[in-house]
Amino acid sequence: MCASVKYNIRGPALIPRMKIKHRIYYITLFSVVLLGLIATGVFQFWPHSIESSNDWSVEKRSVRDVPVVRLPADSPIPERGDLSCRMHTCFDVYRCGFNPKNKIKVFIYSLKKYVDDSGVPVSNTISREYNELLTAISDSDYYTDDITRACLFVPSIDVLNQNTLRIKETAQALAQLSRWDRGTNHLLFNMLPGGPPDYNTALDVPRDSPRRYFLLSSQMALHPEYREELGALQAKHGESVLVLDKCTNLSEDVLSVRKRCHEHQVFDYPQVLQEATFCVVLRGARLGQAVLSDVLRAGCVPVVIADSYILPFSEVLDWKRASVVVPEEKMADVYSILQSIPQRQIEEMQRQARWFWEAYFQSIKAIALATLQIINDRIYPYAAISYEEWNDPPTVKWGSVSNPLFLPLIPPQSQGFTAIVLTYDRVESLFRVITEVSKVPSLSKLLVVWNNQNKSPPEESLWPKIRVPLKVVRTAENKLSNRFFPYDEIETEAVLAIDDDIIMLTSDELQFGYEVWREFPDRLVGYPGRLHLWDHEMSKWKYESEWTNEVSMVLTGAAFYHKYFNYLYTYKMPGDIKNWVDAHMNCEDIAMNFLVANVTGKAVIKVTPRKKFKCPECTAIDGLSLDQTHMVERSECINKFASVFGTMPLKVVEHRADPVLYKDDFPEKLKSFPNIGSL
Amino acid sequence: MQSCRRKSLWLALLASWLLGLLGILPLLRLAVPTGPRAGAPQGWPRWLDAELLQSFLQPGELPEDAPQLRRAPRGGSCDWGACFDTSKCRSGGFKVFVYPAAEPTSEMQHKILASIEGSRYHTVSPTEACLHLLTLDAPAGACSLVPPKWNGGKNHLVLRLHPASCSGTFQLGWAMVAEASPTVDTFRPGFDVALPLLPEAHPVRGGAPGQLRQHSPHPGAALLALAEERGGWRVAATDSSACPWDGHCEQDHGPEQTHPGAALPNATFCLIPGRRADALRFLQALQAGCIPVLLSPRWELPFSEVIDWTKAAIVADKRLPLQVLAALQEMPPTRVLALRQQTQFLWDTYFSSVEKVIRTALEIIQDRILGASAHPSLLWNSPPGALLALPTFSTSPLDFPFYYLQQGSRPAGRFSALIWVGATGQPPLKLIQAVAGSQHCAQILVLWSNDKPPPPSWPETAVPLLVIEGHRKVSARFFPHSAISTDAILSLDAHSSLSTSEVDFAFVVWQSFPERMVGFLTWSHFWDEAQGRWGYTAERVNEFSMVLTSAAFYHRYYHTLFTHSLPKALRRLAEAAPHCVDVLMNFLVAAATKLPPIKVPSGRRHEDASPPRVPGDLGPAARDCIDRVAAGFGHMPLVSSRLRLDPVLFKDPVSVLRKKYRGLEKP
Repeated sequence: MCASVKYNIRGPALIPRMKIKHRIYYITLFSVVLLGLIATGVFQFWPHSIESSNDWSVEKRSVRDVPVVRLPADSPIPERGDLSCRMHTCFDVYRCGFNPKNKIKVFIYSLKKYVDDSGVPVSNTISREYNELLTAISDSDYYTDDITRACLFVPSIDVLNQNTLRIKETAQALAQLSRWDRGTNHLLFNMLPGGPPDYNTALDVPRDSPRRYFLLSSQMALHPEYREELGALQAKHGESVLVLDKCTNLSEDVLSVRKRCHEHQVFDYPQVLQEATFCVVLRGARLGQAVLSDVLRAGCVPVVIADSYILPFSEVLDWKRASVVVPEEKMADVYSILQSIPQRQIEEMQRQARWFWEAYFQSIKAIALATLQIINDRIYPYAAISYEEWNDPPTVKWGSVSNPLFLPLIPPQSQGFTAIVLTYDRVESLFRVITEVSKVPSLSKLLVVWNNQNKSPPEESLWPKIRVPLKVVRTAENKLSNRFFPYDEIETEAVLAIDDDIIMLTSDELQFGYEVWREFPDRLVGYPGRLHLWDHEMSKWKYESEWTNEVSMVLTGAAFYHKYFNYLYTYKMPGDIKNWVDAHMNCEDIAMNFLVANVTGKAVIKVTPRKKFKCPECTAIDGLSLDQTHMVERSECINKFASVFGTMPLKVVEHRADPVLYKDDFPEKLKSFPNIGSL
Repeated sequence: MQSCRRKSLWLALLASWLLGLLGILPLLRLAVPTGPRAGAPQGWPRWLDAELLQSFLQPGELPEDAPQLRRAPRGGSCDWGACFDTSKCRSGGFKVFVYPAAEPTSEMQHKILASIEGSRYHTVSPTEACLHLLTLDAPAGACSLVPPKWNGGKNHLVLRLHPASCSGTFQLGWAMVAEASPTVDTFRPGFDVALPLLPEAHPVRGGAPGQLRQHSPHPGAALLALAEERGGWRVAATDSSACPWDGHCEQDHGPEQTHPGAALPNATFCLIPGRRADALRFLQALQAGCIPVLLSPRWELPFSEVIDWTKAAIVADKRLPLQVLAALQEMPPTRVLALRQQTQFLWDTYFSSVEKVIRTALEIIQDRILGASAHPSLLWNSPPGALLALPTFSTSPLDFPFYYLQQGSRPAGRFSALIWVGATGQPPLKLIQAVAGSQHCAQILVLWSNDKPPPPSWPETAVPLLVIEGHRKVSARFFPHSAISTDAILSLDAHSSLSTSEVDFAFVVWQSFPERMVGFLTWSHFWDEAQGRWGYTAERVNEFSMVLTSAAFYHRYYHTLFTHSLPKALRRLAEAAPHCVDVLMNFLVAAATKLPPIKVPSGRRHEDASPPRVPGDLGPAARDCIDRVAAGFGHMPLVSSRLRLDPVLFKDPVSVLRKKYRGLEKP
């Protein structure tokens, strides 16, 4: 670079004095340098789309240049498709093999142009849509370029439209694919996914205005018998039924597929579909129903009158939610059948129809990916997508709660509970807690989580002797989260988390808490309740420990809950909440309250009148200033957690659980839980 | 000068070479690669002329299909639209006629007949029937001939609880086949019904509950149990054997046979081979709460038309043993938890008794007739199940008391008070005032069922008051009156006495538990050892299992359930023994929720509890009411509770001014 610049500057002065021979020499040299410069520049600063590693490998060619394959007239024809094929019989699952990601690998054959003996092409090499489809597959996670690793093969022979196919020759072309093997693990796409793709964009905006027609038929190619029946429906129900047909008197330049007529009235298609509540989808000769896609897009509820017609993706899509299927024999009654559907259900179906279209039919890519996902679900059933994921529109998915403990099951009392005491070094207080808790009849095991790494737990002989097994777990780090770890030692489903200074709870109170947990095994069952409030002045959440009429949280200083929540707390806590709690050494109980309320959608259960865990000895630290910083910190936690969860999951209730005869005028000695404790 | 020129010449040459190399290298890179570069996948080419490609449809070509008329179906290719005539089912509802059993009959056949005859679908007239049911379950070689009203098999359901019994005796024509684990090759989806393969000793009614006692697997429980060929189960550890169901490595794990030949498996997953005979094991696993892992089953899973089996079982490919095993070992606890619970729900709801199996099969056919107003999938696949969630009530899950959370919704904030004035009742003026005083009350309905005419004037209330006259049976108090406009109902008797505070608090509690009954006065049931039967008492004890409907909140859906779903025998009982309706209602709600009702504090003393409705004073008919109801249900659904829900500050020693429900504080 430097050299050429230098030369450039000196050049003009030198040239006139040079001999002709030299001059040519220099000019050649100069142009070589310049060329070099340009070449370097071009390849260094070329736009990135070309330079990206992906595109070095992607061929940049024209469809016209693909290799031509001549099919001799006597080349083998594949056997007829075996209609009794099932996934377990005809699909060679060995090719899919072990796969840690549970994703199938799809290979696409390279594009070839097939011609017959006389050189006439077998079909259109590839259509725009099929090219789009193969591109979508190639861009997806399923794609592999290694034929030996592939489990599913997609031929590049375009069979989307049967009308343009030469069936025999296409079959011969398929048969000579390198891995054809009677079509095992091969996927063919044959569909008519809708009308001309350049719709008026006005349709993309769903309209909320009331729909003028109750029932609409827009198909042009209808069997006369069906048209007759539709005509009868229209005659009977008048204006609310509209039967459209091909337009006969249109001028040349109007695209006939975009117009439909009723007598002399001309309607724009597919816009007219938006004017109807229900749209008829009648039987055609083949599998596909072009009109279905248009109807779904318009948010019109399809009325499928085509016996034995299998709706697209019916293996996973619940068409009952988006369509009405009427037997062909019942076509005359279709109006009354539809009339009996409540308005709310119709609206639901319209939304569902539109959602199906958006999710699975709106583009070639959506169709291709849904198809591969279905095959993937069949091969890796344990990783399959659930009914709800396929069928629930995003709004429903967002609002709904699927309780992980949905089975109404009251665990047997005999199972008992495991008490987990988190302790640091308050040995004396710890031993008192152990002694107290061991008096509870349903206690089945006691687990001490020793959170002090600098000090060993006391010798075995010093521990209180209790009737149930006592285990000590030493932790690697002094973290609050350790109390919510799903220890293997926990054998019961019920866990009692209890602090090492909670000595005020009576045995009756704890036993009753366990009984209440059995009736509400999916909730946090605790003693003192707390509340979150919206502070209008500050526009944020506030922690409230006043004695109010409501509760939304319980303290986990002593609380019963299902051990599954330990697993959730440790492994599924959203965002950085777990680290935040460990860093601040506070609010682990609020985090647990958030977590449980968020997955179950249910409120906590506060038991007995207890309002606070104040031990007689620790009045000294109960100063006002300490209290205030404590409250500020706790409020901060609520705001932090609400922002991480993206919502406020806590539920406010106005009740607490007491024993049936609590404070009733009844002999105390006959009550099951006479000593239920105080505030 | 010369040397300088030469120097610069060389320099220029060198520079140009360098630049040339730099420039050519990328060009080389372009030209050289013929094979794929390692690492980067060779995708589908981006054609230069992709935009110019033709659409698969020619511009003039119609995107539509050619018209075609339906072909007349043949027997083998029957489908629902072609081979079933729904016109008969429209007028009279879904009525089922059962062909009387031909001799000799099997035990199972008796059970089926008994269970259908007791159901509300049953009709004795074949002409009125929408569905004709024929059971083909006779011992081999003793199959009946074509029945009299055969009609080519149209609207017939042929029941075959045992595979291959009576196959091929006569042409099935247009009849549907309900068969126990049918092979996938002959099964016609949407037309035939796949039944479970039931053991001979399966109970007619009630049935054993699921074995699952806890939601999550016990930490010590085995991962896998295998169905053994001789029957029974073998527990296998997965870590030691890579091929637990493959013959040759079986000898390796002899010592692991901890439960050889056990009747029910005790493991997290149950491996079941694909043979048809192993379908029996499938049901065993389901009952035990052991997640069935079916290895390429060649039979259709029971009720697959409506049950989403992916939520309760795993259908795996037996050709990929390692992969299945790895998938089971790595399955996240959340999924295991959900699968286990679903096995129990399905077992208890659809499989535990012959009656449930038959009812489910009939319900599937009714759903096909109902078309758009059939059960949505959610109602089939989440508690309490389709047999207890009637689609005739609504097809929207939001209208039921069971699905609020799943739908991300909550019950509305209003209730309707329904006051029943029986033969001896006086106009409940005080009660009306107290109830109308609640801010949540939307309307008051008085069901006047008294010989005396209702008083001409009623107290002025802030909410609409409607008097519905007419002499009715007591069971009519649970009729789904169309005048009820809210989801919540407060059921009351003329002589109930409640304060506004009590009503307000109870309603707020009900909003948290919309599927349960929330009441003030309670009964509890007990097993009377001495007499060997069920009894119940109003004596105040530490637990309860029923709340009196003379003052209780519940969802209006239970009126529909009470009126339209009770079997005939129980309906007759409700009409014959008026005092039994309370018990019946409690049974019904408990059967649906499997949970106890909820008690809230009541200021009223128990001695005031209406004497005529406390069973102690009643005749023998009322006393054995609970026993007869339990017999009708086939099991005891009532669940006891030991708690009462009180306001948060209830009777706490704090200022009454702090308390929201002060009316409850009076001693």
